[in-house]
Amino acid sequence: MSVITPTTVLKRRSDVRYRLIEGEAVVLRQSAAEVLVLNEVGASVLELADGERSVGDWIDALAAEYEGDSTALARDVLAFAAELAEAGLLEPG
Amino acid sequence: MSFGDGFLRFPDLFPGRRGGEPWGDRTVAVDVAGGPYLFTGLSAAQAAAVRDRFAGLCRDASEAAATAMVATQVFRAPAADFLDRDVRGWEYTLDMEHAPSAVSLAGLRLMARLDWGPHLAGGLWTCEEAGEEWSASVFENFLRVLAAYRLLAEEGAVIHSAGVTGGESAFLLLGPSGAGKTTVSRLCLARGAAVLSDDLNAVRLGDGGARLQKLPFTGDLGDRGSLGDAPASVPLRALLRLAKGPEERLRPLSPAAALAGLVAAAPFVNRDPWRREALLGVLERLARAVPAYELTFSLAGDPWAILQSISP
Repeated sequence: MSVITPTTVLKRRSDVRYRLIEGEAVVLRQSAAEVLVLNEVGASVLELADGERSVGDWIDALAAEYEGDSTALARDVLAFAAELAEAGLLEPG
Repeated sequence: MSFGDGFLRFPDLFPGRRGGEPWGDRTVAVDVAGGPYLFTGLSAAQAAAVRDRFAGLCRDASEAAATAMVATQVFRAPAADFLDRDVRGWEYTLDMEHAPSAVSLAGLRLMARLDWGPHLAGGLWTCEEAGEEWSASVFENFLRVLAAYRLLAEEGAVIHSAGVTGGESAFLLLGPSGAGKTTVSRLCLARGAAVLSDDLNAVRLGDGGARLQKLPFTGDLGDRGSLGDAPASVPLRALLRLAKGPEERLRPLSPAAALAGLVAAAPFVNRDPWRREALLGVLERLARAVPAYELTFSLAGDPWAILQSISP
């Protein structure tokens, strides 16, 4: 996948299933039979990856939800989106 | 490699429906979690081998037929239909193909299918006429898969785990192969606990909470059924993810981490795209209902004492 920027639109792959429990997400990717646990921010990102909102929209939504350094948040979300894409959980929207 | 290639000479001819020539007219009902499971069309030798392997769990067929929830027909298949495999140093894994209303299985000298129409029913084709290869390999491997799918329909699951109990309640030990399930089971046994199975256990949710049920499928420990041969069911007190370390420790796990461990440990069904949502639902309810911990154990320690310190 090419470099992820705030304008990139990503969606969950169709074989990804997940459950939200007490702020964490348990994520399964069917084709690989893998199970991952994401923290609260990771779970939010997964929810936001709907193929319609851009990564920049995710950053705005998370900045409204969580206090802290918005520059650091943007950097972390971009990096995390790249990780999820690399892991095969997200694909271009 | 496509479905059946590793086991079948003619995978394209895999049975499209349950039918064929039965081995005989014998019927056996095996009463394990989710059952009793009724098997028809067996030869006398096949029925005897099943009764021998699952002694104490076989029920009178006519009695069981009235209550059996899952019936499986057993059919002949020519030996030439199956590939000869050199199994030395090889970890045997059934080949499975999933569809919305059926699951197909291929393995060593077996072909099988599970059909939902709408009730679960099975068909098993084999060239094994009798003996250990039939009962311990063909029959038992099919029964493991059948029980896993049947339990899912009953708010339950088969979990790759060790189950240990003091009689009043039970603990489910989770972890991949090599994590220490059998080792901790041995340590608990040495302290007077009973082990349900150190390989596969059944978990069921009900009005009274989660219960752990013995399955007749054991790992390296073999059958240590001090609870008897009946399908014992014990309230589930806690889920434990095992870790090895120099010092014994018990720390709480989040429900999400518990769910991840349960899903990874739910064999057969956790790779089925058509029934994975149902599995997730059952295991999520289990993870919410039962406290979970990470248990770090050492060979010199006493994990049974730690487990017993967990509040009921």
